[in-house]
Amino acid sequence: MAVEATPLLEVRDISLSFGGLRCLNELDLVVNEGEIVSVIGPNGAGKTTLFNVITGVYPPDEGEILLEGRSVLGVDPHQIARRGVARTFQTLRLFLNMTVKENVMAAAYGHTKAGVLRSVLRTPGMRREEREIEGLAEERLGFFGQRLVGYRWNQPAYSLSYANRRRLEIARATAANPQLLLLDEPAAGMNPVETHEMTELIGRLREEGGYTILVIEHDMHVVEGISDRVVALDHGVKIAEGTFEQVATDPRVVEAYLGTSAAERT
Amino acid sequence: MAEQPRIGVDEWVAQAEERRARTVAARLGDLLDRVPPALRLLAIALPLALYPVFVDSEYLMQVGIDTLIFVLLALGLNVAVGWVGLLDLGFVAFFGLGAYLYTALASEYAGRHWDAQFAIPLIAVVVGVTGFVLGLTSKRLLGDYLAIVTLFFLQIYLVILINSSFTRGPNGISSVLPLEFFGKQVTSLDGYFYVSLVVFVVVVAVLYLINQSRTGRAWRALREDELAAELMTMPVDRLKLMAFAFGAGVAGVAGAIFAPIQGAVFPANFDIVLLITVYAMVVLGGAGSLLGVTVGAVLINASLEALRSPEDASWLFYGVLVVTLLVMLRPWWRGPAVIAATIAFGVVAHEAAGQVRASLVGGTSFGEARIDHLVDTWVLLPENVVTPDGLPTGALGRLAYIGFIAAVLGLTLVRSSLWRTVGLVPVLYLAACVWENLLVAQPAVARFVLIGAMLVALMAFRPQGLFGKQRVEIV
Amino acid sequence: MDWDKLVQLLVNGLTLGSVYALVALGFSMVYGILKLLNLAHGDVLMVGAFIGWGILGWLGGAQDPSVAVWLLIGLMVLGAMVGCGFLGVAIERFAYRPLRRAPRIAPLISALGVSFFLQNSVLLLFGANFRSYETFDLVDVEVGIHWGPLNVWAIRIMVVVAAVAMMLGLWLLVTRTRLGKAMRATAFDREAAAMMGIDVDRVIVKTFFIGSALAGAAGVLVGLVFGQINHFMGFNYGLKGFTAAVVGGIGSIPGAMFGGLFIGLAEALSVGYIEDFTRGRLGSAFKDLVVFLILVLFMLLRPQGIFGRPEVKKV
Repeated sequence: MAVEATPLLEVRDISLSFGGLRCLNELDLVVNEGEIVSVIGPNGAGKTTLFNVITGVYPPDEGEILLEGRSVLGVDPHQIARRGVARTFQTLRLFLNMTVKENVMAAAYGHTKAGVLRSVLRTPGMRREEREIEGLAEERLGFFGQRLVGYRWNQPAYSLSYANRRRLEIARATAANPQLLLLDEPAAGMNPVETHEMTELIGRLREEGGYTILVIEHDMHVVEGISDRVVALDHGVKIAEGTFEQVATDPRVVEAYLGTSAAERT
Repeated sequence: MAEQPRIGVDEWVAQAEERRARTVAARLGDLLDRVPPALRLLAIALPLALYPVFVDSEYLMQVGIDTLIFVLLALGLNVAVGWVGLLDLGFVAFFGLGAYLYTALASEYAGRHWDAQFAIPLIAVVVGVTGFVLGLTSKRLLGDYLAIVTLFFLQIYLVILINSSFTRGPNGISSVLPLEFFGKQVTSLDGYFYVSLVVFVVVVAVLYLINQSRTGRAWRALREDELAAELMTMPVDRLKLMAFAFGAGVAGVAGAIFAPIQGAVFPANFDIVLLITVYAMVVLGGAGSLLGVTVGAVLINASLEALRSPEDASWLFYGVLVVTLLVMLRPWWRGPAVIAATIAFGVVAHEAAGQVRASLVGGTSFGEARIDHLVDTWVLLPENVVTPDGLPTGALGRLAYIGFIAAVLGLTLVRSSLWRTVGLVPVLYLAACVWENLLVAQPAVARFVLIGAMLVALMAFRPQGLFGKQRVEIV
Repeated sequence: MDWDKLVQLLVNGLTLGSVYALVALGFSMVYGILKLLNLAHGDVLMVGAFIGWGILGWLGGAQDPSVAVWLLIGLMVLGAMVGCGFLGVAIERFAYRPLRRAPRIAPLISALGVSFFLQNSVLLLFGANFRSYETFDLVDVEVGIHWGPLNVWAIRIMVVVAAVAMMLGLWLLVTRTRLGKAMRATAFDREAAAMMGIDVDRVIVKTFFIGSALAGAAGVLVGLVFGQINHFMGFNYGLKGFTAAVVGGIGSIPGAMFGGLFIGLAEALSVGYIEDFTRGRLGSAFKDLVVFLILVLFMLLRPQGIFGRPEVKKV
């Protein structure tokens, strides 16, 4: 891998304050194409805020965000999504009253173009596009084995179990054809079996899907199992970066999670 | 050993869904879904097309046309409110704009007479663009603020209409010329009915096709979760503007055919009363469902007409009461039991009141339906409770009304189902008394009182209306 | 420069603004706590006006009141406040509370229904004719301050004084009492307040009572100053009240007060000068347009209003 290749995502010196609270403090982060990078840190460290800034929900006070070398500051969130960044949410934000398949099809909006006129006239081009979108949705849902296929396609999203909802959200994100996937605590609330499955899934997303993945996770088993690199945040600041072993034993990381006395013991 | 259902596991949930799908109502719904939409539309349009053949009276024709116009309005409002969840309180301003624009293009006042095949599409576009512009205020605005801005817009629109010399103020413009398609004028009521029907079919088809496309999907997603939709590549602001524009365009077209039918336009045609009436139609029928809002519009308009005439009003009132009781009360025998008990209660009350003071039952009611004559021997009819114009003469009428409302509200607070059913009896009797003494005397007002109450009750008990889908919301 | 006219307009603006402030206050309080736009608020004002009128008639009427004039007015205001307070509580209980967990447009639509119901109920019970407070019989138009260019009728003074007094009372309530603290806590974070032992439902009920009582008082004051009331008057005051609350900063009490005055003055000055400004092209009826433009401007440029803080979305 050439070192001079432009990183897929580059976050430079980002700072963001809400009122008096500094959520992100001169944060730097680089994600290269094909990598899986995990972001860890105690609650309130600014991890989800980082995702929000990258996807354009909050404009940073200072700093720069480059996607494939192009700045995305001030760009509307839906444009950033079209440029190739899709995400899932810590608290699950599905389109609950729409069917499973429709949830995934909706995300294909950005790379399709049938306008109102063509929809009303039902041109062959529009019909073909609809079939393609439907096919795409079925394919992406099929990524999860048998869990979200068949009769599931037409079930309303609110009828899914929790683990399936998480999977659906990932499927939806991939339907936007992103290059960069931001997964916000994908294994939250899952039992050990599901967590293990999720770990494998994230690996497969890279291998089979070719996505570059940035993951926020609390479960260290998952982090260990998937990461090329781990970035640790605390109070909006990067406190460690490296392989999982390096970061997990870094005294500053231990201190952030467990307190000073624990750090002194390592 | 039978396996216990594993609740929460997907297969069990799925099977529960299948079990639910086997009910009669669901099966009927599935059958309906399988009929291709074009056929469904035809099934509705064909009988309607035969309406003028079977109906002779001019009054009924006019009602039919008015209903179709209301249906168009309901369809237009459904786009913003039903599909996207935006509260557009200025909607009837677009209706008025369409009407006045047509007047500007085809009236003696304006001195020109454009052909309808040019006028109507042009008006649709112009009003649509106006909707687009008004929708610009919805950018990043919470739905609440949008409500205020659009409501104010309606107010401003009315102010301009009433106070501008070029719109001739409150007297409106009465020289609107009939629709003219390729040189042929539409002059008969039948003709206008067919024009309205064709417009209805076209509008429904267009809206349906848009809804079944990626735009409709994006609208639904945006209604579910605006932020998630934006982050999933959907341009939320542009989609909202489109919804506004489409709804406005439909209203504009409705206005464009309303003006020549009435032959005149007045500001009073486009007021808040109309706005809330259209909202009632959408909510009753089911916001988000094309069939629903169509049915809602028909039901409400038919009711409004029926409630206007003293001969018909009471039939509708008592009819709806009885049907609601029979449908809502479970098990099946409670409904008839309550009705019988109310009749008995009333007979006793009437007798007792008559004994105590003859003037309590000596009055006359304004209701002229046969059922009124029957009921009048049974309700309390104090003498002189209303003036010949139907206004309550003094405190008795007003206090009785307020007391009745309080009784109804209080009844909803009773916890025990048994006592609630028992309490229904005096409340129903009181309802009949209030109806016979007060409401039927001013049917034009009474119907709006009922619509307001219905709207509140619908939102509290069945927000999805008749045909809407029950939505799951996670707050 | 016609000073007399300007002074008169300022006085009118102040009077109108006081009324708008009262409406805006009730509106802002409810929005702060429930994030709900109470579209029926203007009609509560209208009911208050009718209650006041009813009390006036019951106590002898403007021509021949059975009690002293100022006592009569006080009773009218009090009666309207109590009546409307309970009306507001009923509206909350039956139209809004079932919809606490529903999407945001649901209670708004319900509010439309309530508004429609109230307007037409009053129309049903009292007819379409304007009813008059006949205030000139109560308090002669000469009674008041006449000093230099200032010619202020006593009733206008009373309106401003009463409104200011109520606003002051509300301010003390919100900042100095336990109820006020509970209201502020509930407005800030309803769930946290509930977990801290605050009976959130009771607080909401009390907020509605107070807000609606203020609207009721405003209704009587409007009747006294402008003399005529009818079933449809609530719409306009509601709309201006909302605008005032938004301009001042919704959820903020000083904002509502300031917004009310601002809108009232803007409207009064528009009435006075719009014709001069537009060289006769637009009549004074276009004052509403001016207020609308102010609203739109604030929405676009400073949606949080003058005293509000920009709302941060937590994702």
